[in-house]
Amino acid sequence: MQYELRTQVIEPQRKTFTHLVKRYGDRPASRYEEGTIDVQAKENFHYRPLWDPQHELYDETLSAFRLTDPYSFTDPRQYYYAPYVSSRAAMAEAMAATLDYLDSRDLLSRLPEGWATLVGELLVPLRHYESGAQMVCSDVTRFGFGTTITQCAGYAAFDRIGNAQSLSRLGIALGGGTAELLTQAKTRWVEDAPLQGLRRFVEELFLEKDWGRALVRLDVTDRLVYALFHGHLDDAAIESGAGAYSLVAQHFATWFKDQRKWLDGLYKAWAADPSTGSANAALLASTTTEALEEALRAVRPVALRVDELVASGAVAALEATADGIREAVRAAGPDTAAAPAAPTA
Amino acid sequence: MTIAPKGPRKLTMKQRYEALTRDLDWEPSYVDKRDVFPHTEFEGIKIHDWGKWEDPFRLTVDAYAKYQAEKDKRLYAVLDGFAQSQGHLSLTDASYLNAMKVFLQGVTPLEYTAHRNFAYLARHLNGPGPRFAALCQSIDELRHTQTEIHTLSNYNKYYGGFHNYLEQHDRVWYLSVPKSFFDDALSAGPFEFLIAIGFSFEYLLTNLLFVPFMSGASFNGDLPTMTFGFSAQSDESRHMTLGLEAIKFILEQDEGNVPIVQAWIDKWFWRGYRVTALVAQMLDYMLPRKVMSWKESFELYFEEQMLGGLFADLAFYGITPPKHVDDAIAEKETLSHQVYWTLYQFSHAAAFTTSVPDAEHQQWLRDNYPDTFEQLYQPLWAKEEKNIEAGGRHFWRGLPQLCQVCQVPMLFTEPGDPTTICQRESVYDGETFQTCSNGCQWIFEREPEKYVQAWLPVHQIYQGSCGGPTLPDVLQWYGLEEGDSGEYKGSVDEKNWNTWHDDHAPTGTEG
Repeated sequence: MQYELRTQVIEPQRKTFTHLVKRYGDRPASRYEEGTIDVQAKENFHYRPLWDPQHELYDETLSAFRLTDPYSFTDPRQYYYAPYVSSRAAMAEAMAATLDYLDSRDLLSRLPEGWATLVGELLVPLRHYESGAQMVCSDVTRFGFGTTITQCAGYAAFDRIGNAQSLSRLGIALGGGTAELLTQAKTRWVEDAPLQGLRRFVEELFLEKDWGRALVRLDVTDRLVYALFHGHLDDAAIESGAGAYSLVAQHFATWFKDQRKWLDGLYKAWAADPSTGSANAALLASTTTEALEEALRAVRPVALRVDELVASGAVAALEATADGIREAVRAAGPDTAAAPAAPTA
Repeated sequence: MTIAPKGPRKLTMKQRYEALTRDLDWEPSYVDKRDVFPHTEFEGIKIHDWGKWEDPFRLTVDAYAKYQAEKDKRLYAVLDGFAQSQGHLSLTDASYLNAMKVFLQGVTPLEYTAHRNFAYLARHLNGPGPRFAALCQSIDELRHTQTEIHTLSNYNKYYGGFHNYLEQHDRVWYLSVPKSFFDDALSAGPFEFLIAIGFSFEYLLTNLLFVPFMSGASFNGDLPTMTFGFSAQSDESRHMTLGLEAIKFILEQDEGNVPIVQAWIDKWFWRGYRVTALVAQMLDYMLPRKVMSWKESFELYFEEQMLGGLFADLAFYGITPPKHVDDAIAEKETLSHQVYWTLYQFSHAAAFTTSVPDAEHQQWLRDNYPDTFEQLYQPLWAKEEKNIEAGGRHFWRGLPQLCQVCQVPMLFTEPGDPTTICQRESVYDGETFQTCSNGCQWIFEREPEKYVQAWLPVHQIYQGSCGGPTLPDVLQWYGLEEGDSGEYKGSVDEKNWNTWHDDHAPTGTEG
């Protein structure tokens, strides 16, 4: 049984904004849609950029990847700001709980020696990799085309600096509450041989002018880095009595799974475009293939060093990840390029 | 060999924050640093030590997410409650929403543009400190874009004028004023953008540009917008601090930066001030329940706080008050009246409605503008009241000439002479260009190659790029529908408002 509230009934004059009615028909729009679709200015820009007079302030020719309608892609997570920060607040809380637990049980200093070295020598320096990824994603946020894409890139940029901060926290915790490991990590990032391939990759990526290619190149490298550190090493840590490592890795793995949702969605939208789809699919295949060789050159020395430290079979795991990516590119190959299939990790 | 002191030297809060946010950069060696940061030299600004940037706020990503998520939860709860309870019926009057229509059409898209360009700074500034500050502001501006849309979305369901705000921001004549302002900043280099938006817009003029809408909301029963305003306050205070830190940082880095920054302050003060013309008329004419007059607002928030406070501090660096500030001061008793009188006559081509101020409103205008309203503007309204009695509400059927820089119709008068229209001419590349003021003329002549590019809505109409040659063609291209425009009295909004406030309005049940 329900009670009845008397309310004043007022017929709305319209269900939502005109641009959404034109696109989706006369139905109420979600907050994601109202806050995202068509929000980037479309026409009648007043001035050309002083630093790039060849282009408009927003210009779809800034990437070879094109969507006839940039809003044919929507974020599968439907993140606008409020659900985004709410999701990240929960992730941050979980990470903080883990770090507090590790701290209270002194678990980081009890890591087996090789694992403690691995964290300080290879994992914590990745804060610089994450910081570089933030810069790349911020460039996509500015120069990408269409709010559905740039919004995802903006959140990714913020996530990456958050990841850098989480790695820094780990470094501070492992360093007994000091910044010593962070200082060392920077020297390692700049000088240690196993990390130079990755640093070189990030620096060269800063010069990539095509934001679509930049996203793909970063994503391919991320897939190798995250599979290595937060997939393969997570398993290996459990088997080697380095449970503390696994407790941390799970959070990065959770984040990366979330991150790949929108990228996969974007690749699908690129390939499914009725007029640019086959060109996009071919470009995605060639960019992924090139980027994969580049990424392997960057990450292989890291995996070799991992094997020196903990003998986990990292190189083999890395090659297996790469094979998976190659296989996915082949599966989406030229014959099926127009089909909405995309490589997955 | 020396032995390092034993035991961990635990980080202080400040050191911890810096360890987390500051030391993330490194000197690239595989590529040329100038190729990594290609935009930070051409403006002539010299930065010797990016590490000298003082973080304007100490916020880490996890703290940010937690704090912002809580704020949004509270804000959206208010929006949902207001929508469910038909809260719009408790506004002072439906005509109040004209202020919010101008806000959604004119300001919200600027928040979005700010989001995109602070991301540009988060990539293209050389120092990790300012990059992180810019990144936070970038995502904040996206928050403001979306929370404003969501706040006003409910009004769009019941009232005209809101529904096509995005397309209108790109197309409609009065909205090219804020759009060209922000496009101007967006097309500039990173340092000019910091001074234009970070400093001038977010700090120098924010109490004149942004805050009046929020105050207007709280005085007129607009709970959602007021709640949004409060919810944005802590973000805005971070942005103001960033703007102030940016200017101090740039000035302290090199003496040669001072004249460059001074010229940007001169430009962006006037550019932003011209955008406030739309706010001035809103405060004095669109709010059924007044907050304060434009004149009072200008005196308090600009003359007292900025000229008296901020610029006294900036004098230390050799910065002087903006050029043409005296022209702005001289206009404070005429600005809002001139602008509203123009909008009144052109509101058939706008996405808001206007009306003759009633007797009580005119009394308020006399009280607040004792030296100008009765002498100069009351007679215009008296004449218009006669027109209306005779059945002839006045709409201007031609098109106004626009200023080449600020794009406001050429309606402003000579400084100190409120009856002579001010018109300045400059010749560039053999062509003559009109500007509305000394300030706009100076801006034009400083960068004529930029301002000749302007997409001037009236020129474009004459060139046939706006839907067709006739006024109805243009209005259709603007996406205006019945009830969006023209006179408020007798409008769809007013009729609905009266029906909904009729005691015999239909009621229903909700289980």
